[in-house]
Amino acid sequence: MTRQAISIAAQSGKVKAGMNWFIGIGLFMLPLIWIDPTTYLTLTVAGFSLGMLIFLIASGLTLIFGLMDVLNLAHAAFFAFGAYMGYTVLNLINSFGWSETASFGGSVLYLAVALGAAGCIGGILGVVTERLVIQKVYGDHLMQLLVTVGVSFVLVEILKIIWGVNDEVVPVPMAFQDSFIVCGVFFEYFRVVAIILGVGVFAALQFVLKKTKIGIIVRAGVENREIVKTTGYNINRIFTLVFAAGAAFAAVGGTMMAVFNQAVDPGMGDQFLIFALIVVIIGGMGSVTGSFIGAVIVGLSFNYVAYLVPKMALGVNFMIMAIILLIRPTGLFGKE
Amino acid sequence: MDGTEKLTFSQKSRVSTNAGALDPMVYLKAGIIVLLAVMPFVFPSFRVMDVMAKIMIFTLVVASFDLLLGYTGILSFAHAMFFGIGAYSVALILYHAPEPAWYHIIFAVIISLAVSISLSLIVSFFSLRVKAIFFAMLTLALAEFAHILGVQWTSLTGGEDGVSFVLPGVFNFNHSFGTLFHAQMNGRLVVYFLILISTVFMFAGMLRFIRSPLGRVLKSIRDNEQRSIALGYQTFRYQIYSIVFSSAIASMGGILFAMWLCYVNPDSVFHTAIMVNILLMVLIGGMGTLYGSIIGASFLIVTENWLPGLLKSVASLVPENATVQMLADRWQLYFGILFVLVVLFFPKGVIGTIRSHIRQKKLVG
Amino acid sequence: MSDSILSLDNVHTHIGKHHILQGVSLDVTPGGATILLGRNGAGKSTTLKTIMGVYPASAGRIRFRGNDIHDKQPHKIARLGMGFVPEDRAVLFNLTVEENFKLSMIEENERTHQNLEDVLLLFPALKTFWNRKAGLLSGGQKQMLAIARVFVCDHALLLIDEPSKGLAPIVVDQLGEAIVRIKDKTKVILVEQNFNLARQVGTDCFILDDGRVVFHGLTEDLAKDKAMMKNYLGI
Repeated sequence: MTRQAISIAAQSGKVKAGMNWFIGIGLFMLPLIWIDPTTYLTLTVAGFSLGMLIFLIASGLTLIFGLMDVLNLAHAAFFAFGAYMGYTVLNLINSFGWSETASFGGSVLYLAVALGAAGCIGGILGVVTERLVIQKVYGDHLMQLLVTVGVSFVLVEILKIIWGVNDEVVPVPMAFQDSFIVCGVFFEYFRVVAIILGVGVFAALQFVLKKTKIGIIVRAGVENREIVKTTGYNINRIFTLVFAAGAAFAAVGGTMMAVFNQAVDPGMGDQFLIFALIVVIIGGMGSVTGSFIGAVIVGLSFNYVAYLVPKMALGVNFMIMAIILLIRPTGLFGKE
Repeated sequence: MDGTEKLTFSQKSRVSTNAGALDPMVYLKAGIIVLLAVMPFVFPSFRVMDVMAKIMIFTLVVASFDLLLGYTGILSFAHAMFFGIGAYSVALILYHAPEPAWYHIIFAVIISLAVSISLSLIVSFFSLRVKAIFFAMLTLALAEFAHILGVQWTSLTGGEDGVSFVLPGVFNFNHSFGTLFHAQMNGRLVVYFLILISTVFMFAGMLRFIRSPLGRVLKSIRDNEQRSIALGYQTFRYQIYSIVFSSAIASMGGILFAMWLCYVNPDSVFHTAIMVNILLMVLIGGMGTLYGSIIGASFLIVTENWLPGLLKSVASLVPENATVQMLADRWQLYFGILFVLVVLFFPKGVIGTIRSHIRQKKLVG
Repeated sequence: MSDSILSLDNVHTHIGKHHILQGVSLDVTPGGATILLGRNGAGKSTTLKTIMGVYPASAGRIRFRGNDIHDKQPHKIARLGMGFVPEDRAVLFNLTVEENFKLSMIEENERTHQNLEDVLLLFPALKTFWNRKAGLLSGGQKQMLAIARVFVCDHALLLIDEPSKGLAPIVVDQLGEAIVRIKDKTKVILVEQNFNLARQVGTDCFILDDGRVVFHGLTEDLAKDKAMMKNYLGI
């Protein structure tokens, strides 16, 4: 290609990207036809926060797939374990009587403790799963799918043994039961926290992957294990770490979702796995940015449609997934 | 195993000359069918019949799944969904029909074929567009969606409570013809034989399918898609055949399942656990063996029926220990562990292992 | 024995069912470059990968700077001071040139940064494409990067596998010069099919055939022995 051709190609690429943004924003504004602006904004805030919760789950999935080329369907179980862990911790804190005294700072602190505990349990489960099972099936997608389905099944059964089979009510820190109104738009405190957490995780992930040494090693390890090994890095340990991190994200997402829904049940992993799968497929497997955008799309469209035609909410997500797959089989940010 | 062994080497012509009186497999096959046929008269207990009927139905479903996974190399998590479509179509039609008659069942067969074929065409169209691993995720999401639909679309499906219905005419369980060898000759027995006959026919159909030139192309696609493309096969078309055919069979299995239970609910036909069971059956029997589905289904359904009781009786030895009671209650846990172990250490399954053992012996001997 | 930096003693390697190395023994003295020659499939690359620990040796003993390394993991061996440039332009395509260098710095300190500057003087083209993805470089540039990235660490020994493969002669010359410069600082074991390049780089030479060492001597002697050349190298 000559230099001129390259510049033309680059330009048309830019034009195309501009078009995509245009279409995206257009679709984003589309519900305004049926919904009045303040309700629309309230729904947007709610949808965005739902999207961020889903992103927490999907990010772990896409991290593990994108970096390690492992499709981990046990993700739903990590998520459920995280949710139950958060529930247990919040219950424990609640038994000391915070419900009367908690300030906003206190609520955030309690939530942080619960999230930390969930992250720990997720990380531990991740390490155990990777060491015992995943290491044996690197490079074989079919085996990975099968074995992680099995692991998921086992983990959920263990969860039922520990916590029982019934739905449980999650105590929500006081301050998160409140909301504030700005110009007629509702902001629930917890949703704001969810948005901050989601965006924070996204930024942190981007930074670690793009800018740090560990990010370089991990990305290199995905592409060519042998070079990384012979350069002097223990790639197995690094991959265990990545897997554990992915599992921890799922568990943190689980606690967030438990607080959000104010309830936990053993089957909750499967229900949210479907969202995570849709997000990862829309965004393109392995792209953290893609998952972020995908999660926002799913969260917003779910909320808009749930407001307009409640029964169609999940169906619309499926339609979006189908349409995007037809246009781009690898998802929005997926590589060929 | 001799007959199947030869077939894997695609020496079909030689087998057909050897077949007939000489092949011990023929006796085995005939023996299984006869055994299934006389079972209700020898052991006239509902429990035994129930286990037998479920084994047959799941053999069918598992074999059709094996057609996809083992013979075509497509991992679809939506297979249980097609099973559920069959089950729900017969249940809903008989439930809503003012006066259920035999032709409603035919009608249900047509409906479920139509739905499952068109849906599987759409699904297979996506399999053209996306990579295998993407496809697996897509179908998993679809299967979850079907489950949610089953639970939430209460006006059609009755939600989580499910649909119970009565079968028409001779199929009705209260319809009695008297007794034979102490066995109640009633509608249930008629359904049992309907299941037996349909299973044998459809299983034979699947055998024909894989032994046909088309089946051999499928195997070559599974082993090396690029090579098959290079040889001039439109691999996509063959994959569509496989997906559509196996989905249709799965929906037929669903119809038989619903007719046997006269009841369906979302958890019994759409739940991920059903899919995991089907996968486990395929794996235990061995992928790409078809006959393995009989072993896989038998093993799982028999254990499923006796394991909970066994665990309970073990647990009753230490009645005061709550943990033991809990561990005994969660018998599915052991299935899950078994599943993981089979995938990791025994990926060829029973039939597959026997086959490679025979092959090894032949190479040595 | 004590004067050799690396010694292989009757090393066997199996890859799957295939018995590739069938008792390779060689002693590599410190300083300069040692060349491994041989036909395709003779076991040259496998020898390097066995030394590096990528393929575990099924029998035999490998010693490197006084350590037994035949039962060690590749990353441990690398940290003992062994650098490895696999064949086929082993760079990370999805990483930029800069990131490729960063990856190869196991420790970042003044020494390695100094080495980096030195090596960039040797390969100025890499400086030009500093922020470009390595996958977008030309074949020769990729190979330069593959060698350069190993050179930023102070290795005691470098294993280089067929750097000239599939490159234009002019690029091969450039690479040859670079390797000549490198070997002044670091011991190099070079696997080559290109005899001219091999001669340019070093004098100490082994020939492998069918997984065994069949010749050890000087490249000049080898160049005179037409029968040997024809028999084992096909030239």
